[in-house]
Amino acid sequence: MDLYLILFYFFAIITLVSAFFVVTTRNVIYAAFNLMLTLFGVAGFYVLLGADFIAIVQLIVYVGGILILLIFGVMLTNKITDTDIKSGFLNRVPGLLIVGTFAGILIGTLLKSTWRIAAPLPPPVAGLVGIGNLLMTEYTLIFEILGAVLLIALIGAASIARKQSN
Amino acid sequence: MIPVQDLFASAPLLIIGGSILIALILEMVFDSQSSIVAWFSGSALLFTAYWSLYHLYDRGFAFNNMISISGRTQLLFFIVNFAAAVVVMFSMDYIKKIQTNYGEFYILLLSAVLGMMLIAAARDMVIVFIGLEQMSICFYVLAGFRRKNIKSNESAIKYFLLGSFATGFIVYGMALLYGASQTFSIPEYLAHVETLKSNPIFLLGSLLFVIGFTFKIAAVPFHMWVPDVYQGAPTNVTAFMSTAGKVSGFAALITFLSPFIDYSARTTGSAKFFMPFLATLSVLSMLYGAIVALSQSDVKRMLAYSSIAHAGYMLIGLSALSYEGVDGVLFYLVAYTLMNLGAFGIISILETQDEKMLKIEDFAGLSSRSPLLAAFLAVFLFALAGLPPFAGFFGKYFVFVSAVENGMTWLAIVGVISSVISVYFYLRIIVLMYFSKGENTEVVSVPKSALLGVFVVFIMFVIMSAFPQKFEGIIHTIGLLTY
Amino acid sequence: MSILAIVLITLVKIIIIANVILITVSYLVYFERKISAWVQNRIGPNRVGPLGLFQPFADVLKLMLKEDIVPDAANKLVHTLAPVLALIVAFTTYAVIPFGPVVTMFGYQIPLVVADVNIGILYVLAFTSIGVYAITFSGWSSGSKYSLIGGIRSSAQMISYEISMGFSIAGVLLTAGSLRPMEIVAAQHGWMWNAVLQPIGFITFLVSAFAETNRLPFDLPEAEPELVGGYHTEYSSMKFASFFLAEYANMIIASAMIVTLYLGGWQVPYIENFGLNAGITAIMQVAAFLFKTGVLLFFFIWVRWSLPRFRYDQLMNIGWKVMFPLSLVNLIWAAIVTMLLN
Repeated sequence: MDLYLILFYFFAIITLVSAFFVVTTRNVIYAAFNLMLTLFGVAGFYVLLGADFIAIVQLIVYVGGILILLIFGVMLTNKITDTDIKSGFLNRVPGLLIVGTFAGILIGTLLKSTWRIAAPLPPPVAGLVGIGNLLMTEYTLIFEILGAVLLIALIGAASIARKQSN
Repeated sequence: MIPVQDLFASAPLLIIGGSILIALILEMVFDSQSSIVAWFSGSALLFTAYWSLYHLYDRGFAFNNMISISGRTQLLFFIVNFAAAVVVMFSMDYIKKIQTNYGEFYILLLSAVLGMMLIAAARDMVIVFIGLEQMSICFYVLAGFRRKNIKSNESAIKYFLLGSFATGFIVYGMALLYGASQTFSIPEYLAHVETLKSNPIFLLGSLLFVIGFTFKIAAVPFHMWVPDVYQGAPTNVTAFMSTAGKVSGFAALITFLSPFIDYSARTTGSAKFFMPFLATLSVLSMLYGAIVALSQSDVKRMLAYSSIAHAGYMLIGLSALSYEGVDGVLFYLVAYTLMNLGAFGIISILETQDEKMLKIEDFAGLSSRSPLLAAFLAVFLFALAGLPPFAGFFGKYFVFVSAVENGMTWLAIVGVISSVISVYFYLRIIVLMYFSKGENTEVVSVPKSALLGVFVVFIMFVIMSAFPQKFEGIIHTIGLLTY
Repeated sequence: MSILAIVLITLVKIIIIANVILITVSYLVYFERKISAWVQNRIGPNRVGPLGLFQPFADVLKLMLKEDIVPDAANKLVHTLAPVLALIVAFTTYAVIPFGPVVTMFGYQIPLVVADVNIGILYVLAFTSIGVYAITFSGWSSGSKYSLIGGIRSSAQMISYEISMGFSIAGVLLTAGSLRPMEIVAAQHGWMWNAVLQPIGFITFLVSAFAETNRLPFDLPEAEPELVGGYHTEYSSMKFASFFLAEYANMIIASAMIVTLYLGGWQVPYIENFGLNAGITAIMQVAAFLFKTGVLLFFFIWVRWSLPRFRYDQLMNIGWKVMFPLSLVNLIWAAIVTMLLN
């Protein structure tokens, strides 16, 4: 086995195991901590694919921004860190049934089908420069409207948070 | 550099985008009690609607074929902008009534329109997705705009949680589609249909994508949010969500399915692999919506279930996977937008500050309290029930015909049965309005701008009902230009 | 170069840097105490060894011999993990900071940086943002309200100032045209230090760096008079020492980053005109880097003992309403400068 495969399985195991704990743990902080590991694992995949810029942005945005906001929210409502997440037993049977069917279909499909493997791409032009050029030429529209989405999310959040007088 | 023709082709998008920024500045500069933002956004929306109609027969691609401006796109632009402009008219007094007179309402409205237009124009999965997010974020906030009201809050939270869940389906579907086809560009599917249609990953991806969008069009299996959200959200928001929101959901589905419709038209029906699936969703939505609506006592909830049923009728047109079916769906969408806007607009006028007048019994004797509104509402309800000679009937007719022509007569029959069931709950309100006396005999005070909105919708609707063939002809022509 | 040589050279670099930092940190504490004494007209530590020079060793010994107390209400696992995380983050960040030019030694071209990564600056940013976790987790896991408040304050503060920090760095990246720290340093030849080219960015970055390292006047996460000790109230013995170590190590990173980004890194202006041989030039350049970092460290300590602490709302106001717009102004300014210089 070469180094690439070893690393791949290493990151895969980190990602899957921690993702499993995110779902199963009953403590919100543990879940957040495991989510951090999951995001790390995914960042590892990006590095393996040669997209180190995306990997580091993944860390900065998800680990450094979103997840910490999540934990921040949990801490501000500090009572929920101690409460167990409850789910009723009644919903478990239909839930398991639906999820099981869905998982069955997914796994069946994945086993049955052949993936179109792309022809090996030419080595990317100096990561950042290439991405910058693409964002400003081919993907201008996406870049600009993502700005609009972020703006409106900001306005929406401010609107929710503003004081409403009677 | 971006070519000038790209900018010209995407002018409606740019106008709305610019208006958002100007509205933001206006809101910042002017006193919050002045309605300048409302006037500004209303006129921007009307202008864009006019622009799209004026350029109805133009065609163009812009931004590396990520968006395409065709007749169909322009028509969808027109519907969402018109609906939003009418909603602005409804809102000017309504949001004062419910004590949430904040300028950001209109900014959020404009941004939602931008998202919808992106979905309508998109020829690329990524644009569809970003447009969807843009629209959804605005809706999440707008649904909870009455923050002191617990129902409004509940509606926002429900909409947000289930919306994110459905978005998960869409993204997963997109990932699988990309894995199978190596492209995000929708027209490129056409070139590979032969190999793709036997690829299970592609089929699974398509199914997930479509299922995710049943959330936005309020169809089974993602319908459970509809009654609670429609009831809890401010009525003007519900009017917008149930019309323009549904239009953009269908716009995305039509865009996604269009390569297969092309394929199916060229090879006489060998791309019918979506048919059973879409037909199932359609039957479930129609019957569920019609039957559950029978037992509702709240008028907004009733209209919510009716909206599920209508999504079902429109899905008939899609499941036929034919040009005629899509024309029928577009016709139906325009008609549905007009009648639902009218109905919700009138409800928003009647609604009192403490949310009275929303029960069905409250409509008893409305004809003596406000004859004009009662007459308008009666027309819109007749049309929603699908009775001739109104446009709602022709919408159903075109859709059913396309089903029959494509060998799905049984689907049309189910549609007719469900329409017959639904006549009951629409007519119940009309009977109450005209043939029984209510306890409340107070004359309704009608704000001028909202009345103007209802009136505009009514005029449009009457014209459409009077010349259905002509409308269908136009839609067919621009449809042909699109393909 | 064979893989073995690369690994060996890197290992040597890591060992040297780790030791230098450990010693610097211990003496930084000593200097902090000495300087504070000087500011307050006292004498400071003078008992252990000549001039109190062995004080750091006594401190470490004292901390190691103390009992390790874990409160009953604490979450044991996270409580133990947090200081480790703080240390890891503090030490791994040094990997990308260049402390000298590329030198030729034993026939090898050796860049004087542990890892010459092409996205080094983002690496630093990413690790700083992970550093927030150490403080947040320690605050939460202690099961004490002082710690919790300290943790919450710190996460809010660090996130807020990370934004202006990021935008200030963007200005530097514009002028350098690269994310590689070596190239950023190389771009600041002669008089063209970034501190001269974009003074606003220099100031916003400096202020943000103070906030990111939780130093006075931004030390609200600790704020002894209000919070007893903030996030590390419930820590003792080596765990406390780890936080202590991490805090000073972060201070060194911050100084080194400021030097790299704004003060020309290891460059000595116009040294190439003196006609010195390569070896002496390299030594002078490394010395210049150490000197600049040292001056900044002194500045850090000096500020701490001169300025009072901000109130929490003032802190947020400065972060969002002053520093953030200023860093945006700087970004535009940097774009203009870059255009003019090219």
